[in-house]
Amino acid sequence: MALPDIRTPETTERSMTSADTDVGTPLIQVRDLAVHYSHRRTGGSLVAIEDVNLDVTDGEFVTVLGPSGCGKTTFMNVVAGLVAPSHGQVLVDGKPVTGPGPDRAVVFQDYALLPWRTVIDNVRFGLEMQPHLRGTGWRERVQEAIETVGLAGFEQSYPRELSGGMQQRVGLARAIVAEPRILLMDEPLGAVDALTREVMREEIERLITATGKTVLFITHSIEEAILLGDRIVVFKSHPGAVKEVLTTGIERPRSERSIQSDARFLELRDHLWEALRGEATAAATRSSS
Amino acid sequence: MSIQTQLPALRATGRRRGTAQRGEARWTFLLIAVVLAILAVWEAVVRAGLVPEAFLPPPSKVLTAFLALLVEGEFWQAFAFSMGNVVVGLALAIVVGVVVGLAVGWSPVLRFTVAPFLWLLYSTPKVALAPVIILALGLGSESKIALTFLLAVFPILLNTMEGAVTVSPSLVRAARVFGVRGPALGWKVIFPATLPFSLAGIRRGAALGFTGEVLGEFLGGTGGLGHMLEQAAYQFEMDEALAMVVVMVIIANLTLSLIGLLQRKLAPWHDERTAAAS
Repeated sequence: MALPDIRTPETTERSMTSADTDVGTPLIQVRDLAVHYSHRRTGGSLVAIEDVNLDVTDGEFVTVLGPSGCGKTTFMNVVAGLVAPSHGQVLVDGKPVTGPGPDRAVVFQDYALLPWRTVIDNVRFGLEMQPHLRGTGWRERVQEAIETVGLAGFEQSYPRELSGGMQQRVGLARAIVAEPRILLMDEPLGAVDALTREVMREEIERLITATGKTVLFITHSIEEAILLGDRIVVFKSHPGAVKEVLTTGIERPRSERSIQSDARFLELRDHLWEALRGEATAAATRSSS
Repeated sequence: MSIQTQLPALRATGRRRGTAQRGEARWTFLLIAVVLAILAVWEAVVRAGLVPEAFLPPPSKVLTAFLALLVEGEFWQAFAFSMGNVVVGLALAIVVGVVVGLAVGWSPVLRFTVAPFLWLLYSTPKVALAPVIILALGLGSESKIALTFLLAVFPILLNTMEGAVTVSPSLVRAARVFGVRGPALGWKVIFPATLPFSLAGIRRGAALGFTGEVLGEFLGGTGGLGHMLEQAAYQFEMDEALAMVVVMVIIANLTLSLIGLLQRKLAPWHDERTAAAS
């Protein structure tokens, strides 16, 4: 398959909002990253990811696509500061990541909301530990975040009273309330029903483009990766590593409906489908042998 | 759009709760009917002379004795003595149980070193220690408080420990992402997540603690409800003795209902069915 123009990882044709932010050092730099998990019983170690290199510029929306078990969540956890690298490092704004920080927020696949807190208190959780945001004005910030994700009127509801999609809206509001520069999203729509997922994809696309945040978005949906990403990082498994990086180059705003007829979308989808099928077949052969 | 997705969820929970309540109401009705039937048979059997009244007074006599107790100063004195001890013993057990339970549950080091001993102590019949405790602490309140504490603390402690062990790792991960660590992690995440387990433990601990108090008064007491019951039985006043038992049943049940109410109030997110172990 001839795709001469898409294997250009270093030049991002970021459309519209932040074309001028590409200058200077990248906001996130991933250098020779490897994570090994030690096996307690066998004494051996499992290579989760190996030799990952990636630059993400300020304001870029990068989707990370790969089959399950390819280490893409591990990769995100290292950037979040939740998992320490075995080798290499992640730099954010030039400084190595040593733990979680207020410049990065995470949206989890399982929402991870505190069940004893109402929507408004769950969103507040996102800025509680940041002294400069905790004082006066937090109420307005929280309210604004709640309205941004479309949850106005549900401030006093508990997570158990909300549908999955609405719980993830709370998770999203909690992540953006402290205005981090980087949003890390770990298959945020993976546990949401199909119809809500399509609506929320478009909402996330609009929301992020409006705020100009830098995003790492983990997914195993090809359509989602293309619809949302400026660039798509394709992971392969065993060991997890970057297989290729593609630039989408589709005009924003994008919508689920309009993108279906876009020639570039179809081209990318076919290409990614081939790439992932190769991965899935390889995985199946490995497990049977 | 959000309102549309919300409504079915609300309606579903409403329906579930409705059927559950109707179901419970039916069982309560059945329970009352059974109790009334037993009382009627009991009354009839004693009146017919099948059982000597001196051994088993009829419910009507027990009720008379019960009402007489309520206007007796001695009874209220005993009541205050017993309940005072139970409250002090239980309060100590709650503080120690929750604090130690959280610490042992959260710290792997403590869990592997201290927890085995806690289980060992839990499985020791503490009732067997009662005579030793009375010898050591005397016939007054101290020995009763100690027994209440000893019986109540283990269910609270072990339940809290189990709760702390099972705190969802995803909540802890989220807390770390948003900068919550150290004491704040304990206060904002571990404690509230464990609270339903602690409350279930407190519920069992309260019932056992009350038993400990009555037992202590039985074995060597100078006051309290257990002591009064023992005196009544010793003097062969079976109607008063049974009335005392009724009093204790009422106290125990009121306490359990009160804690049940607290559970629903403080931990409404917790599903009782998933906490079957407690």
